[in-house]
Amino acid sequence: MKKLISTVVVSGALLTGCSFSSGSSGSSDADQLTIEIFQGKVEFKDQFEELAEKYEEENPDVDIKITSVGGGSDYAASLKTKIASGDEPEIFSAAGPTEAARFEQYLSDLSDTKAADLALDGSLDPVTKDGEVHGLPFNQEGYGFIYNKKVFKEAGINPDEILTYEDLESAVKKLDSQKDQLGLEAVFAFPAKEKWVPGNHLSNVFLASEFNQKVLEAYNSESVAFEKGDEFKRMIDLQAEYSVQPVLSLDYSQQVEEYFSLQKVAMIQQGNWIYPSVQQMDEEFAENNVGILPIPVEGSEGKLPVGIPNYWAVNKNSDDEVIQASKDFLDWMYTSETGKEAVLEDFKFIPAYEGFDTSKIADPISKEIYEYSSEGHTTGWVLLGYPGVWGDYLGGNVQRYLSGEMTWEELEEDSKKKWEELRK
Amino acid sequence: MSNQSKWFWIFLSPVLLALTVVVVFPFVYGFVFSFSDWNGLTATSFVGLEHYINLFQEEEFMNSIWFTVKFSVVTVILLNVFGLGLALIVTRKIKSGNLLRTVFFMPNLIGGLILGFIWQFIFISVFGDVGNLLGLESMQGWLSTPETGFWGLVILTSWQMAGYIMIIYIAYLENIPKDLIEAAQIDGATALQRFKNIIFPLVAPAFTVSMFLTLSMAFKIYDQNLSLTNGGPFNSTQMVAMEIVRTAFSDNEMAYAQAKAVIFFLIVAVIALTQVYYNKKREVDL
Repeated sequence: MKKLISTVVVSGALLTGCSFSSGSSGSSDADQLTIEIFQGKVEFKDQFEELAEKYEEENPDVDIKITSVGGGSDYAASLKTKIASGDEPEIFSAAGPTEAARFEQYLSDLSDTKAADLALDGSLDPVTKDGEVHGLPFNQEGYGFIYNKKVFKEAGINPDEILTYEDLESAVKKLDSQKDQLGLEAVFAFPAKEKWVPGNHLSNVFLASEFNQKVLEAYNSESVAFEKGDEFKRMIDLQAEYSVQPVLSLDYSQQVEEYFSLQKVAMIQQGNWIYPSVQQMDEEFAENNVGILPIPVEGSEGKLPVGIPNYWAVNKNSDDEVIQASKDFLDWMYTSETGKEAVLEDFKFIPAYEGFDTSKIADPISKEIYEYSSEGHTTGWVLLGYPGVWGDYLGGNVQRYLSGEMTWEELEEDSKKKWEELRK
Repeated sequence: MSNQSKWFWIFLSPVLLALTVVVVFPFVYGFVFSFSDWNGLTATSFVGLEHYINLFQEEEFMNSIWFTVKFSVVTVILLNVFGLGLALIVTRKIKSGNLLRTVFFMPNLIGGLILGFIWQFIFISVFGDVGNLLGLESMQGWLSTPETGFWGLVILTSWQMAGYIMIIYIAYLENIPKDLIEAAQIDGATALQRFKNIIFPLVAPAFTVSMFLTLSMAFKIYDQNLSLTNGGPFNSTQMVAMEIVRTAFSDNEMAYAQAKAVIFFLIVAVIALTQVYYNKKREVDL
């Protein structure tokens, strides 16, 4: 009988063993508040953790735990799983109105925070509902054609003169004709394997005018018209024709690391987020020889799409005390001297708030984007208002178009239909 | 209750408990949710068979099923041919037999995700460079068309799993009594006749096991698919498991994905059970 009891005890212990280890995370000292942050931008994970430690030193009664999960859809899925399992984070990130709507019942009103007051004009619109501010912007991001200044100079091209499609086309042809002397493999590296590059980012440039550059207008629209469909098509054709081949198996990391950072291509369509990768590959090149050009669109020449890719949200279901502590932390991050310094210099963010010393923006791409932004030479980021996974769907259709399975007319028709379907 | 059966149940209970908690409950839950409009956070109403009707009309889901079926047929055949072939090689009296066993089995120890990335490099860069060297256009852009993407997946899976299937065949091959073979040899049977009339029927049980394993595995593949092609180009190499994950997490339609998963389960169960039933009938006993 003794044996039997011990067997049961042992097997019981084995079964529950796993729950002991995971169960402890919820408990904390009686007077200490635990704030769990769940966020989807992995690029600044280490720096963010360092900042949280500094905050804990200043505020010993707060304990901050940060979990970072990378990459678009994976993050939203993990967040959902986490919430569904009852382990709700106190602060989490949400990308734009589509994602905010998905988690609406968990968003508390942040309009009484200092950060909300200081947020740049219009940056809160996409997450404001019935007068309540549901999110605080992370930062600004912008994208376009990131180019190699040295190569442009050697080829005798002045990047400031590239404004229209025709300018760009002749520059591309000029580069292409000299690619052996310049040591290039091709002019572009167009990663058509990544659906988001043509489907979200490139399409945004040509669809923004349809929605008056406003993400909310796209978010509320029942349909899409492809008014600039022809321009969109020729930009895809141009990039695909003068790219490293085959474009359909070229991915983001090859584009940025293998081709651009090693200077085998002159231009890539990307944004300031690639800077740390380029810097890791070739510090000298990153600091001195990268610049950014707007993607030419008729009617908004010389303008760069700049937007807020991510927002901080505070969980409504937490205790009032914890909600206040969460707000305090976010405020501290964007308004205190220590916080601002970290945001600017360690996170390498382009600030979306007033009161930053923007001369300290760390990398040249961000600097240029900030200049475009402060001079008002920007276009909207309507891609965050696309219905559900429409951007990816469009990207899939672009892949079909590029491999000859679909004509451009079919692409437009099919993508319009999908938009309407997803809006129902 | 006899003493023996008491111990039987006691030792079995932790496993049964675990199985109930992590397999049976979620399965039943999932089945119930597939009739609702569950979005992952809340379910507000029952929608009956709506999801089940919709999914049979969805082109993408049907394409992924068709792709998976094609893939499974090809890999099951290739895996069993390679598995048996490798097993026959290493059970010969050759010097490097043990080394070869290890070598053939090794790919199976590498995780599917890593394997996918390694082969991605091989298919894109290595194939590309070799193609340039030999001037072969057909070596370029593997994984960028639906056809080559399909074969890429087949090659990857065969390479990974053949060693595992080989182990199963080795176990049965080594169980064949030596005197049977010897007797056949004395009677003047050729190598081919020995294989056809003695070896093959006696490894038939191995065939049942490995058919079942390869079939169910080929149907359920996810990680290799994700890391090698990620379903691309344009979702043409997307297998059922991946399609279901996308429906659930990218399209945010949990209940609909759950209905797909139920159908998927039924398909795999029916095919696997039928296959085991027929293979069992063909087995011979000594």
